[in-house]
Amino acid sequence: MEILLQLVYSGIALGMIYAVIAFGYQLTFATSDTLNFGQGEALMLGALVALTLVDRLGLNYWLAIPLVGVFGLFQGALVERIGVRPAIKIKSEFGWIMSTIALGIIFKNVAENIWGRDDLKFPSPLPESPLKIMGANVLPMELLVIGGALLMMLAVEFFNRKTIYGKAVVATFNDRDAAKLMGINTGLVITFSYALSSLTASFAGMLIAPLTLTGATMGAVLGLKAFAVAIIGGLTSGMGIIVGGIILGIAETTTGFYLSTGYKDVPGLVLLLLVLAVKPAGLFGKSAIKKV
Amino acid sequence: MMNRKYFIASVLGFIALLLVPVFTQNPYYIHLVETIMIYAILLFGLDIVVGYTGQVSLGHAGLFGIGAYTAGVLFLKVGAPFWLIVPASIVVTGIFGAILALPALRVSGPYLAMVTLAFGTIIQILINEMTFLTEGPMGLKIPKPTVAGYKFNEESFYWVVCVMLALSLLVVHRVLRSQLGRAFEALRGSPVASDCMGVSVYRYKVYAFVISAGLAGLAGCLYAYSEQYISPNTYNNELTVMFLLAIIMGGRKTRLGAMLGATIIVLLPKLLDDLEAFRMVASSLAVLMLVGAVIAVSRRRTTWQTMFVPVVGTAALAAFSFWLDNITDWRLSIFGLMILFVVYYLQDGIVGFARSLLGKTANSDNVIDLSAGQNQQGALVRATENGDGDLLVANQVLMQFGGLKAINQVDLKIKRGTIHGLIGPNGSGKSTMMNVLTGIYVPTAGDIAFAGRSVVGRTSSDIALSGIARTFQNVQLFGEMTALQNVQVGLHHTFRSNFLDVALHTPRYNKEEKAATERGMSLLHFVGLAELANEEARNLPYGKQRLLEIARALALDPQLLLLDEPAAGLTAPDIKELVQIIRKIRDHGITVILIEHHMDVVMSICDTVSVLDFGQKIAEGQPAEVQANEKVIEAYLGGTAT
Repeated sequence: MEILLQLVYSGIALGMIYAVIAFGYQLTFATSDTLNFGQGEALMLGALVALTLVDRLGLNYWLAIPLVGVFGLFQGALVERIGVRPAIKIKSEFGWIMSTIALGIIFKNVAENIWGRDDLKFPSPLPESPLKIMGANVLPMELLVIGGALLMMLAVEFFNRKTIYGKAVVATFNDRDAAKLMGINTGLVITFSYALSSLTASFAGMLIAPLTLTGATMGAVLGLKAFAVAIIGGLTSGMGIIVGGIILGIAETTTGFYLSTGYKDVPGLVLLLLVLAVKPAGLFGKSAIKKV
Repeated sequence: MMNRKYFIASVLGFIALLLVPVFTQNPYYIHLVETIMIYAILLFGLDIVVGYTGQVSLGHAGLFGIGAYTAGVLFLKVGAPFWLIVPASIVVTGIFGAILALPALRVSGPYLAMVTLAFGTIIQILINEMTFLTEGPMGLKIPKPTVAGYKFNEESFYWVVCVMLALSLLVVHRVLRSQLGRAFEALRGSPVASDCMGVSVYRYKVYAFVISAGLAGLAGCLYAYSEQYISPNTYNNELTVMFLLAIIMGGRKTRLGAMLGATIIVLLPKLLDDLEAFRMVASSLAVLMLVGAVIAVSRRRTTWQTMFVPVVGTAALAAFSFWLDNITDWRLSIFGLMILFVVYYLQDGIVGFARSLLGKTANSDNVIDLSAGQNQQGALVRATENGDGDLLVANQVLMQFGGLKAINQVDLKIKRGTIHGLIGPNGSGKSTMMNVLTGIYVPTAGDIAFAGRSVVGRTSSDIALSGIARTFQNVQLFGEMTALQNVQVGLHHTFRSNFLDVALHTPRYNKEEKAATERGMSLLHFVGLAELANEEARNLPYGKQRLLEIARALALDPQLLLLDEPAAGLTAPDIKELVQIIRKIRDHGITVILIEHHMDVVMSICDTVSVLDFGQKIAEGQPAEVQANEKVIEAYLGGTAT
């Protein structure tokens, strides 16, 4: 029982990371119907930049957070400008999928050349001795992941709902053409949504880095799992990705423990296919009526 | 009816391929060409998904792996013979394809890409983990096949691959030129219109993906025998991206492009291993780009602004190549840059680029003889008449979008064999009514019975096949297909032949295809477009496009034809002709619902007219009655008619 509880805890922490990345997918999907297939690489870059700041330059972990955030903003804007904008212009789904993948490949390769091919240890900003909650061990870092992820998503939601810039984002989400006619620079909004999405991803990278190893290859699988979460929860539902993330996180930690660590990536795909077969809009998504 | 020139060129090319082992004894080159051919088989299939249906699959390396491992496992664990392993690989991989495609394609959007990406990763993990079957990371060794006591060697197996390539080419070519290929292209051109022509978008997307998976399986199987060793790491996501690069770089929707792409991706890694060669290629590319840009700008084909990025990009690549001292570390970046370049600056691939230089269109090999179908008698199939009651009865139909009631409790009775006008100011719910009748929207409440059967909740393609055809207010043609092909998509329901009939060109298929061409031409004659049969639909003038939509709808042999503003954008003489056409349609017993703003048209040909305003039916009756109705005048002119 204690073990199970412990698996649930780490499953939730893992799930929250997935949820934050999936949240990034939602942000860009909402404004432009596109998403960044290199989101995992944005996360990886965030973690590695943070590592350099903290480990090399001796910066405090907490002070590094805003700097990494700024880096994320620029990285996301770059992806949008180079990879996505030309594709939106020619209305090519193939275009944005391929170019975000290509950019992901380039980022990964550049990271390999800068930081090397080996996984690096990220110093934990919190004590590494576990706490006892209801009899099971929890790392303080895991609590930070859960809290940080929730805070991050709430902050972006608050921004979208309460500020005038956020309203432009929501308007673009509702109807890109109408928003454009109302004088909203929808191109800028889309760029901004990509910047925000990479910001959340690099933040997620910073959160998870102390729990795992940091390296050029860390992002790919996380980005992939977040796809599963985004589909399971629904590409349009904020609540959905949190629940979806937790379901997938726990499914993975328990499979990893009770079956074999090798199979821990399998439930993601199975859940993904099941959800698509039963409720394609996702567990919490509303199926939109497409106007003809 | 393959163009003779192409046919001769293909045969010569094939003979040249066959002769490769005769001219070079070097096993390295033979193996290289063999790998290219195997990739080409996979790319033929991938092109069906990417080029024709417009979906993105990121799982083809995984499917390739399944084919290879099916062959390996069947050989090692069961000891199955070669002639059994080949079809088994195709079938097993096809089944995996179906498992992926059936859920992933239910909704439109990037889902297939996401699901297949996940699949590609997980398949690799599974192969690694399922050691009892696959030996995990150790890999499997399989020798060249033995058939009837004869053991193939490097050279003779090369010929096996050659034959497989030729067979795949033939089958893919035939499939793509058949009704299946037309369905694939149509669903990309306009999904809504395909569904309304009885070609279920979902079904044919899945169909295309499964065929594509089957070819990937065949390629994987051959690859296993060619390499004689398979291990999980070959089938990674990098290979998938390579395959996609090959498709776009070679050129979509051409078999030559697929073969060219295969050649490029096999030779590319070799090139990227050699720094000197890479510097040469990068520099000459930069020079070529610059020269090309100068020529293009001086001839005013393009502007400096658009040429700026590619010129600077290629120059930067050349500079980068001289800065590098170790190319293997940067292989993937170069590769990524190539993808970006191809995606935005070489969209039609090398073959498409060459075609545009030669001034040929993609459809120039689809030209058919215009003399077919002169006989107009068979153009329209008389609607089956049983009784003269109501063909369509809508009862208290309610269609709600959020708080808006686009259609509010509308009753509609359409008498068989009549022309029923549906008029009303803009935004009164006419087109929404059409969409409800054809299953694009499911009504919030109410019931619609067509020929005694409810249409509520049925799919658009099912409704279309039961006898309701339509045109669209904003024209929904399959732009890249010829006028004749557009009509032939409407004739899809006349085909009974399946994949095998198409692949083998059985008499049944040949008969049906010939009939579809005849019938298609006679329908084009009927609307007066016969001379334009070979023209791509997007190049037709607007008025002709509307007529083509009518011909396509008639190809469904409908009981009920819905015309959504057919006269919009037509000139006065064209309208006269249109009125004649609609009358003729009615004379064949086909019931017509006509939405139209040209009141003279409505008043002259409609038997009954219903008027909608703000989603409600405000009047109904003979044209003259309706015209005099006060409510109608009020709705159209505003103000209060007191």
